[in-house]
Amino acid sequence: MLKLVTRGISASKGRLALTMMSIIFGVAFVSGSFVLADSLRSVFDKVSEDIFAGIDAQVRALPPEIANTDNEIRFDESVAATLADVEGVDEIEPGISGFELVYSIDDNGEVIRPQGPPVLMISWAGPSSISGFELIEGEAPTGQQVALDVAQAEAGGFEVGEIVEISTANGSIEEFELAGTVEFGSPGAFFILFDLPTSQRVLGAEGLLDGIAVSAQEGISSAQLVENLQAAAPDSVEVISADTAIGEIQDEFGSFIDIFGNILLGFALVTLFVSIFIIYNTFAILVSQRTKQMGLLRAIGASSGQVRVMVLLESLVIGIVASILGLIGGLGVAAALKWLFSQGGGSFPEGPLELKPRTIIVVMVVGVLVTILSAIIPAFKASRISPLEAIADVGAGERSMRFRIIAGSIVLIPGLILLGLGLAGTSGTTSGVLAFLGFGSVLTFIGVAMLSALFAGKVAAALGSPVEAARGTVGRLARDNASRNPQRTSATATALMIGLALITGVSVLASSIKATFNDLLGDALAADLFIFEENQGLTFSPVLADQLQALPEVETAVGFSEFEGLVTLPGAAEAESDGVSSFDTATGSRIVAVDLLEGSLASDGIAVREDTAADNNLSLGQTITVSFDDEVPLDLEVVGIFDQGTILEGNYIVDRQVSSPHINVDSIDFVGVDYAEGVDTDEARASVDEVAAAFPQLTVQDNTEFQEGVEGQINSLLLVINGLLGLCLIIAFFGIINTMALSVLERTREIGLLRAVGTTRQQLRASIRWEAVIVGLFGALLGVIMGVVLARAGIAALPEGFITAVAIPWVSLAVYIALGAILGVVAAFFPARRAAKLDVLEAIATI
Amino acid sequence: MSSVAPEQMPTPSTDGLAAHCIGAIKIYGKGDTEVHALRGITIGFPKGQFTSIMGPSGSGKSTLMQTMAGLDRLTSGETFIGDTPISSLNDKQLTILRRQKIGFIFQAFNLIPTLNTRENITLPLDLAGTKGDTSWIDQVIETVGLADRQTHRPNELSGGQQQRVAVARALASRPDIIFGDEPTGNLDSKTSAEILSFMQQAVKELGQTIVMVTHDPRSASYTDHALMLTDGQITQEIPNPTTDSVYQAIQSLEN
Repeated sequence: MLKLVTRGISASKGRLALTMMSIIFGVAFVSGSFVLADSLRSVFDKVSEDIFAGIDAQVRALPPEIANTDNEIRFDESVAATLADVEGVDEIEPGISGFELVYSIDDNGEVIRPQGPPVLMISWAGPSSISGFELIEGEAPTGQQVALDVAQAEAGGFEVGEIVEISTANGSIEEFELAGTVEFGSPGAFFILFDLPTSQRVLGAEGLLDGIAVSAQEGISSAQLVENLQAAAPDSVEVISADTAIGEIQDEFGSFIDIFGNILLGFALVTLFVSIFIIYNTFAILVSQRTKQMGLLRAIGASSGQVRVMVLLESLVIGIVASILGLIGGLGVAAALKWLFSQGGGSFPEGPLELKPRTIIVVMVVGVLVTILSAIIPAFKASRISPLEAIADVGAGERSMRFRIIAGSIVLIPGLILLGLGLAGTSGTTSGVLAFLGFGSVLTFIGVAMLSALFAGKVAAALGSPVEAARGTVGRLARDNASRNPQRTSATATALMIGLALITGVSVLASSIKATFNDLLGDALAADLFIFEENQGLTFSPVLADQLQALPEVETAVGFSEFEGLVTLPGAAEAESDGVSSFDTATGSRIVAVDLLEGSLASDGIAVREDTAADNNLSLGQTITVSFDDEVPLDLEVVGIFDQGTILEGNYIVDRQVSSPHINVDSIDFVGVDYAEGVDTDEARASVDEVAAAFPQLTVQDNTEFQEGVEGQINSLLLVINGLLGLCLIIAFFGIINTMALSVLERTREIGLLRAVGTTRQQLRASIRWEAVIVGLFGALLGVIMGVVLARAGIAALPEGFITAVAIPWVSLAVYIALGAILGVVAAFFPARRAAKLDVLEAIATI
Repeated sequence: MSSVAPEQMPTPSTDGLAAHCIGAIKIYGKGDTEVHALRGITIGFPKGQFTSIMGPSGSGKSTLMQTMAGLDRLTSGETFIGDTPISSLNDKQLTILRRQKIGFIFQAFNLIPTLNTRENITLPLDLAGTKGDTSWIDQVIETVGLADRQTHRPNELSGGQQQRVAVARALASRPDIIFGDEPTGNLDSKTSAEILSFMQQAVKELGQTIVMVTHDPRSASYTDHALMLTDGQITQEIPNPTTDSVYQAIQSLEN
């Protein structure tokens, strides 16, 4: 029997190859996601180990409960002197670092930065056994000198001995002599190195450290060293072993990589889901084409179970072969994804691609299961073929349609219920809502796919009537062929439907977000200029706001921050972490609209967001206790309740003066600038640009530029998402080719007859192309409708106020529908050519 | 206890029959489209005989064969393969019965295109999971003259050769009875004669039982016994038919 299976497979290599394409694509995407994430993880693991090479223990500030900074927490430098004489200490290197605070500047005044990885400023005492840096050229920096990594020096065109401009964390640009270049086994980050005193000065952190690296003397274990150091160290710091430190860094990187990998995997699973329909369809057609053969097998003694097993075995073999190819293809996909993201501005560290056993197992199991799953229904259909089929044409019963209605409803109804529950927010949590919506959508897709066979015939006929009107008999043939087997039309169109539904849904969401944002921008922002870090939303020094305020052209310049604070509500036993917006409350509302429903933004109190106040029964005059980085409790009176409709994200607002003394490294998210009345805007802008130039990482934008910038970001995100979803369309495309090719094969005799009675090759080709167009249009139409409905439902499910304007991108939708038709034409190219080439006599003689 | 129930009435012995049916009725469709294909046929097929079923199109001859062979079910009545009544068999039991006791030769589409000659011949045995009697199979292949064509695929064989493979396959498992549905319908007269001779040989020399549906009087002349079917009923039985006697029977039917 295995012989029958393998021979059957090799006999229909062509059509199975097309089926395999869809499995291979899906599987390769899954495998690529794993490979990429694993490769990244192993590179980062290596880097983490490199950082601590030669180090046995690390001293750092005791991590506070909350820390409003991207940087390490600092502590007093006297700790280093205290620990220098501890027993077992060999080398000790006190240090301080700055994450995205200090940059080198090129001749055009632009910041030199790698794409993706950060720029790190690190204090460096020169090459030693515990320093990870290797001196490549020149020497270690002292005083007004700097060392840069080789890549950065090359990027800026700097030679050793030259003067390099560096923007400091204090908002000034200083000149340093390039003392040397270094290398670090790094993931592409840029490094700026000074000696310790210069580092402290540049960061504005005189007398402070953020870490002390210690190596142990011969014969002293790392654990022993940690114990000795901890005993001698003050309470403000903790000592950890290098292994612990490495583990922490790896976990941190790991969780980022996990998120990234999971997102990719999500897209991969969507692709695989789409390919299920294509595989199902191919097997269904293959079975129906071999009805006579299976009837013969049944007649000469094959049991229905054997026929079923045969089809399933066939799918097993195909699944295994396709999964192996997909696994290998995954390496290509990983490389392609790396390239795609690097084109999009991200960057991945160099490193070999990792194919772990886990990936192989998961990918093989998933690929094979998906294939077999897709073949189950065709296999059961095959097992019901009567032995009589070998000699007579036995018409297919009506039963399958009824089965479809029942089965389709069984799937669709729970799908809709889940969607409804998700929309009603039954589960409470966001992830719960997403789970409801996700499962609901999957079931809805399957249900609609099954039920679409009920109306596929009628809709295809309706879509075909203009074709018939325009193309006469050719159109008539196309229309009839597209509508005569509704099950096949609907299964073929399903893949396209899902792909386009997702793309449409994402587009509707994106355009609604844009519309919502524009509404907000019009109402809520009154500033003339915004200054912020565009690439990663990094915070920066509040000094800039003060410097701008000093300009005569500027009426108001306000820095805005959102800090994390520990909030204890009246009567609550526990403090909870929450977002607290902080700015100069006297002038801030001239920049960002904050509508007060009650009270005011008095500078010594706290204002509460409307829904937070309602949820917790807060009223004016109550006292809320808030603490920031230094954990000092601040008792603040509720002085105001503000409207939801503000772009500020915190649930609370305090004045800058309240928060600043309690923040470790005071920082702001953006500065809003209002020009003084009557000034020339161009001149004012020039003055602001000049001051802001000291922070070359920042972008200065007026309202229009800001809006365009945000839209640009949404558009590029949309592009990446649609690029990933585009794979679904490719699979759908192969599905249409496959179905058309199989249909042509099935209709060989009929085509011969058409040719015999005078249909020209061109007419035949045209009719097959038009048939595919009708199928493509059907899928696209269904997809666009589903996409709009699902997106609309999704918007309704989001927390209130998240998306307030629903915008349907009509032009894009029209393009998607046209895309369906175009995919149809292109997919029909080879099947149409093949049909036209058929020899008339042979075709007629075919049984 | 004076009366005898009908089912206890003595029936003619069925010992010498490879297959038989009693009161076979087959109705297709319902209402206006109802077609009575078999109108109560009772007939037996003796072991070791070559029987032909003749009749015009729509006479029910194919239906009779299909129901006898367990490919289709009767509306009422009963068919037996050997002593086994088959109306009560489920699909699985029927499959095993076909596999072990029945051979088929169809008019067309007899062979699996992806399997070679020998594989096609042993297919029923392979499906049953047995190796079969290798020397018997070799003998069968020798008899039908395909010894040098064993590894050829069907598309590399002529129509006559393909049909010989089908005959060999039907013989491979030494079934109790072989049913043929116009086995020479697609062949020219010379090749037809060749195939029919093989079938005759299989009955005479190998002791097989063959029942063949045909509308060709010349084919019927190769058989030991011809049944004439008209409108779902047996209208005539011709022992040792010749082309002429069958022609005459057809002529008389038409008049």
